[in-house]
Amino acid sequence: MSQDLLAQRGISHGLEAYVVGAAWNRFGTRVGFGLGDGCVAVGGLSGDWPRFETHDGGLLAIAPDLAGGFLSGGDDGALCRTGLDGTISAIASFGSKWVEQVASFGDATSGLYACSAGKNLVLFDQAGQKLKELPHPSTVTGIAFDAKGKRVAASHYGGASLWYALAKTDNPRKLEWKGSHTAVTIHPGGDAVVTSMQENALHGWRLSDGQHMRMSGYPAKTGSLSWSRHGKWLASSGADAIVLWPFTGGGPMGKPPLELAQIPEIVCTQVAFHPHHEIVAAGYADGTVVMADVAGERVLRVKAPGNGEVSALAWNHQGTQLAFGTEDGLAGIVDLATR
Amino acid sequence: MADLIPVTVLTGYLGAGKTTLLNRILTEQHGKRYAVVINEFGELGVDNDLVVESDEEVFEMNNGCACCTVRGDLIRIITALLKRRGRFDGIIVETTGLANPAPVAQTFFIDENLRAKTRLDAIVTVVDALNLGKRLQDSPEASAQIAFADVVVVNKTDLVSADELAAVEAQVREINHLVTILRAARGNVPIDQILGRGAFDLERVLEFAPDFLTDDSHLHNVDITSVSFSVKRPIDPDRFTKWIGALFAERGIDMLRTKGILAYPGENRRYAFQAVHEIADGAFIGPWKEGDQRDSKIVFIGRNLNRPQLRRGFEACQVDG
Repeated sequence: MSQDLLAQRGISHGLEAYVVGAAWNRFGTRVGFGLGDGCVAVGGLSGDWPRFETHDGGLLAIAPDLAGGFLSGGDDGALCRTGLDGTISAIASFGSKWVEQVASFGDATSGLYACSAGKNLVLFDQAGQKLKELPHPSTVTGIAFDAKGKRVAASHYGGASLWYALAKTDNPRKLEWKGSHTAVTIHPGGDAVVTSMQENALHGWRLSDGQHMRMSGYPAKTGSLSWSRHGKWLASSGADAIVLWPFTGGGPMGKPPLELAQIPEIVCTQVAFHPHHEIVAAGYADGTVVMADVAGERVLRVKAPGNGEVSALAWNHQGTQLAFGTEDGLAGIVDLATR
Repeated sequence: MADLIPVTVLTGYLGAGKTTLLNRILTEQHGKRYAVVINEFGELGVDNDLVVESDEEVFEMNNGCACCTVRGDLIRIITALLKRRGRFDGIIVETTGLANPAPVAQTFFIDENLRAKTRLDAIVTVVDALNLGKRLQDSPEASAQIAFADVVVVNKTDLVSADELAAVEAQVREINHLVTILRAARGNVPIDQILGRGAFDLERVLEFAPDFLTDDSHLHNVDITSVSFSVKRPIDPDRFTKWIGALFAERGIDMLRTKGILAYPGENRRYAFQAVHEIADGAFIGPWKEGDQRDSKIVFIGRNLNRPQLRRGFEACQVDG
């Protein structure tokens, strides 16, 4: 049997805590693994993987910060930055409200931080100064910036709200659809907003005309969503294969999705499109990680089954390294740079 | 199955003594750690880093079923708590006094992640011996909370006479004759009789089904009642599924809880069935004991239950063994 890529050109460490999420720093050099025990472990292909106690409680979400470190939210009510050297600074504290979602856009000279705190989406400038709190009818379950950082979407019960981040008056475009929406993403070209739902389905709104897009048929809960570079494909978890919806030529309406890398009876839990090529990485409930080439439908195994469900998956922005983490606390990085 | 985190739901009308009981659970030395989801910190006198304050967010599912409601906040919070594995042994969910317990119970049936990683251990309802009568008259939630309960803690028993206490317990039984009743003054019930009961565990449904009443002596002062039937001949699974499905489709809103143990023809194992409104769950459990009467039993707790019609329906599911 051929060895998987992790054994050939990767590194992994046992982190002894649930890996909640993985985020590459904005330079694509180090990856922050957000852990269920509140820590951020900083990994790279070489060197030690230091572990910093960022949150007093559980860590709930992680993203890159604007300076080269990491942004995270916790059930301690804190929105924190963790530097590569372990410097921890709190941007905001919301007391007993959990910070369940975090996002960032831009760089240290011009950028935005966003987090959820209960029913509010809270925006901060690059220095961490609070800009505004945007209210919603129920708890915010997902946050996404568009590709230009102009708009930010929040998912919640009954749909999603699309805001202009820096508008003088805050008036969201309300995208409504009955049911509980659990995550949100914006098409890279700004064509559509898509949410995952409690009912094993995705829902989308085409922004040009508000047309609804219903994407159903999943055997399990969806939740991980990733666009191909220009938004031709939307990859999703929730089936025993990677489910890819075509967003070209009027799709996804009336078009069947493409299914790649099927592992019978094993649910795909994480998807991450390569930042440049039409290659999608996916993690499964049995711990398997694969990469699949969309056009050729070729599948390469990155990691063998084991170590619990894959709970985190992320490419660096260069597309040279792929990081993964599992529920049982195994985290790894695979080097895909040309040698 | 040992990995499943037990969840106890604590309900009760305002002032019944829920918070007192919760404080006792959290302070008593029982060697277990509990994560607690509460509605407001209010009187909770315990400093516990695993107390989570939550707004009760009752969400309808987008599937056309009006009784298909879940607690969206619980799905989020418990999913997140499960990522802190090892920090606690169980989860307690306290609801507001006015809460209908159905969405909480349904959450654990409907959400597949919670189904896979937690088990609903029991719904515990605290009632106030002194004021139960009044509450039942002025609040529909009070009777619903008893209807959904696996355990009712009758609190403040020191404030009523023996006769009054007997009347309170009769009122509780009238609504829910399956329920386990525990008496308490200032919430002093043994914690092990509340936590870790496995009352929702299908394998234990029978243990909690006491005498299946045959007479029908109702006081008719509450709108929720329970009726139960027992039949001798085996139940045809197809007929049963068809009958109960049609019944729930038509009357799901009125059917609060249903529990049953069924004998299928030629099957040595007992089939346990339960439902919250029309969200149903069933599984084969242990074998019938040698020489036991293989009687099939079913209990309905709900509003406007038509006893003769339900009896005829259940009886018509029988076949010759």
